[in-house]
Amino acid sequence: MTVLSWARFAGIAVVALIVQVAVLDQIVVLGAHPDLMVTLVGAAGVIAGSARGASMAFVLGLFADLVLPTPYGLSSLTFVLVGFGAGLVRSLPGNRDGRSTEWATSVAAAAVGTLLYAVLGALVGQQGFLGRDAVYAVLVVALGAVVLAVPAVMVMRWIVRGGERAASGFAVPTGGSATR
Amino acid sequence: MAAATRRTSQRLTLLMLVLASITILTLDYHGEVSRGITHIRNSVRDALSPAQRGIAAALHPVGDVFAGAFDYGALQTENQRLQDELGAAQAKQEENDFAGRQADQVLALDHLDFVANIPTVPAEVLSAPTSNFQYTVEINRGTSAGAGPRMPVVAPRGLAGTVLQSGGDTSTVRLVTDKSSSIGVTFGTGADSGSAIASGQGLGEPLSIAELVGASPHVGEVVFTSGTDGGAYPAGLPLATVSSVHVSADGLTVSVTAKPLVDLQTLQYVSVCEWLPQA
Repeated sequence: MTVLSWARFAGIAVVALIVQVAVLDQIVVLGAHPDLMVTLVGAAGVIAGSARGASMAFVLGLFADLVLPTPYGLSSLTFVLVGFGAGLVRSLPGNRDGRSTEWATSVAAAAVGTLLYAVLGALVGQQGFLGRDAVYAVLVVALGAVVLAVPAVMVMRWIVRGGERAASGFAVPTGGSATR
Repeated sequence: MAAATRRTSQRLTLLMLVLASITILTLDYHGEVSRGITHIRNSVRDALSPAQRGIAAALHPVGDVFAGAFDYGALQTENQRLQDELGAAQAKQEENDFAGRQADQVLALDHLDFVANIPTVPAEVLSAPTSNFQYTVEINRGTSAGAGPRMPVVAPRGLAGTVLQSGGDTSTVRLVTDKSSSIGVTFGTGADSGSAIASGQGLGEPLSIAELVGASPHVGEVVFTSGTDGGAYPAGLPLATVSSVHVSADGLTVSVTAKPLVDLQTLQYVSVCEWLPQA
């Protein structure tokens, strides 16, 4: 990823955190709210691939943990695994170009990420992370991701491919004359 | 060959990121670093609080009334003008009712008999829980106003929670229904009224009070803080009303569920009691 891509990504991460805290946290259904950060993680894996997706997920996790009362680093750990996994799904044969696959993978990643967060939270000693509330949280986050995944995938494509396109615009073309 | 190298590189990246996450997670459990992380988190919350305030104002119930008027008007164009007038009147009425309810809540916080002589810091709830797994709310008072970690937070009807962490201008409050919340309680304020621990079961769920000894509560009875659970709360704060009582088959133990007196899902104004538990 280019410097421009990372700069765009940092800006989007800040905006996403504000939207999460100021808007989405207020939409509470069954005691849970939609989660833009984990949806972005799925989109990052799908668009940027496993390794770059996991790196972006790590940073998103550090941002998300800033406003959560849970141990710092728990979201990063969860997001890294989810981002990497989403990238792997994307790399499967036949999954490369489908927009619907990108969307479905992002939604599934959001649901899996929420469940994994609950499991890892319980493993590090957080009380009440597993149970009926976790089921509701997975459900609400997945439903929210159905809507949020569309802009999340678009934004991630803008970050990754837009940044690369901008960078290649300054490069000398290979395999031909630059003075043509 | 290139594919194998790429796979190895990907796995190495994953391993490094997982190790980095675990390192950060581990550091958060250590004193000095944990304090630094908490300081950064509090600063971020303080920085985000204006946005939270702004959005909360934008999501005011009046907005719903206007939205409803617009939807209806699209279907009956000829009545648009009348509907707009009606919507505006309803909005005004709603606004007045809302302001009245707010004023009532704020006034009620001035007459918290149950906190006795404990000084209080009035605060407004900024946001709903930020985590899907912990029931906390953000309030607009922090250390600069006198609020601090472990201080009880009350609403006009009783105990709402306890301050988990405080920044300069905001604090995170763990609600009594959070699953990690456990509160020493008693049935009535008398010395022989029995004591037990009330545990949170999640937002919207009643508190659970298990294996009671020395008390025979009945439905509708008010549950108060006992002040005996290591002194985490002052004694005598109203907490909940008994909603069901279950006696064990052998008749030796009693389990109770109790509905919090404070409506935690619509919590808007609270007071932080400037009272700290004994060390």
